[in-house]
Amino acid sequence: MSRARHEDWQLLELEPGADLAAANRALRYRRSLYQPGALATYNLLEDDERVRMLERIDEAYRRITGCEPPPDRSSQPAEAAAETPAKAPSGPPPDPSLEPGAYLRHQRLARGLSLEQLSAVTKIRSRLLAQLEVENVAELPAAVFVRGHVLQIARALGVDDANRLAAHYLAKVKLD
Amino acid sequence: MIVELEASAEAGPRIWAIGGGKGGVGKSVVTANLAVAVARTGARVALVDADLGGANLHTLMGLPSPKRNLSDFISRRVPSLAEVMSPTFIDTLWLVSGAKAMLETANPNYSQKGKLLRHIGALDVDHVFLDLGAGTAFNVLDFFLAARRGILVVVPEATSVENAYFFIKAAYFRKLKRAQPRQQVKAAIEAVMKSDDRRFVRTPRDLMARVMTVDAEAGAALMEAASTFSPSIIVNRVDRSEQSRLGAEIGSACHDYFGIHLQSLGVLPNDALVRRSVEERRPAVELYPQSPFAGAVRAAADAFVTRPERVLP
Repeated sequence: MSRARHEDWQLLELEPGADLAAANRALRYRRSLYQPGALATYNLLEDDERVRMLERIDEAYRRITGCEPPPDRSSQPAEAAAETPAKAPSGPPPDPSLEPGAYLRHQRLARGLSLEQLSAVTKIRSRLLAQLEVENVAELPAAVFVRGHVLQIARALGVDDANRLAAHYLAKVKLD
Repeated sequence: MIVELEASAEAGPRIWAIGGGKGGVGKSVVTANLAVAVARTGARVALVDADLGGANLHTLMGLPSPKRNLSDFISRRVPSLAEVMSPTFIDTLWLVSGAKAMLETANPNYSQKGKLLRHIGALDVDHVFLDLGAGTAFNVLDFFLAARRGILVVVPEATSVENAYFFIKAAYFRKLKRAQPRQQVKAAIEAVMKSDDRRFVRTPRDLMARVMTVDAEAGAALMEAASTFSPSIIVNRVDRSEQSRLGAEIGSACHDYFGIHLQSLGVLPNDALVRRSVEERRPAVELYPQSPFAGAVRAAADAFVTRPERVLP
């Protein structure tokens, strides 16, 4: 780790001497920050500057860790093979006031969307989408975020009266 | 002159200027609520509507259009700023209402601006909250830079983030332009940009590093100017958990790009009660103190009052 310069640590916002796990986290964070389309750097950099910044991040990582940076998966299109095709649901939709999560799942499947595809549209992680559908209270964020997510999903799916569905959802999971 | 004010402000009130480039991101609503929350801790607070083109803080505060406002002071109809302070529904909170859209006051000249800033610095209060207008006009930038701390309000939308960077860039370069000694700094920057080194200069931060190698004194002056430019950011109208990281992410990008430290002051949730409070003409922290928005505002306000050292560079 001796080749690293002061600027390298700075670029990854690491304390000199940080370990590999911290360097990996920093690498992931920095890469996500400069991905094309990242909200936090919207129109801050020209395309070539953005590419150059990503190269600098990789170079800093190399000098700090002495390792080759792992491939940047976030910059590549989602691997289609990993996706499970969505199966159309059978039976009538669940009652949205009683089972809002199951209702969302039904609506998603009725449109032939996988969690990953819905995630691409809503920008909500597919894991969290799954938790929302099963109303797994323990894994859900604060109510204000749940409300936003449910609205976002409902609108993406074209559900009538997204606001009422969000209200049902919050009433059901009773987050504070 | 403005820099002097900043230095002498130690004895006077703490001045917080709220800007953010884009209109409609909730600057005035956030400012009014922060001021109320700080005043409710017992601190003496002046809320100054410095949106010199479209003032409407009095409406958000549920106060009638005051007889006297900022334009009376700027046009010298009243001699002191304290005389245009109106009482509000809190004993320790006063409002200096903004000028009605008048072209001459929307563009105060240099001496009017200086006088206004001196009077703000001399107000007998603990905190002054300056609600700036939208945009990156020199007036807005100068008030922003003169404050103890400039605070940017952004919302998680591409247009708002884009405007925030326009604003930071404009304020940053206005700040660097004042770096002393001016001629020497200017000459050093020109030397870098004419040399082969310029291909290494992709960001303002690179520029400072290169100027340092050409002229250490000029480089140090630039670094000093950059290091004292340390705005804060509040992310308003947050709906989703990943959006709550936006302030910290913009901070990281500003560090990489400008070499500045931008502090994230907090996240305010998108809360339907805020809209309702605007309709009811009463700040949400007063009307709906239990709302998620009010809780988040009080947490941010806490940083101004009980932990002032945390918001200093």
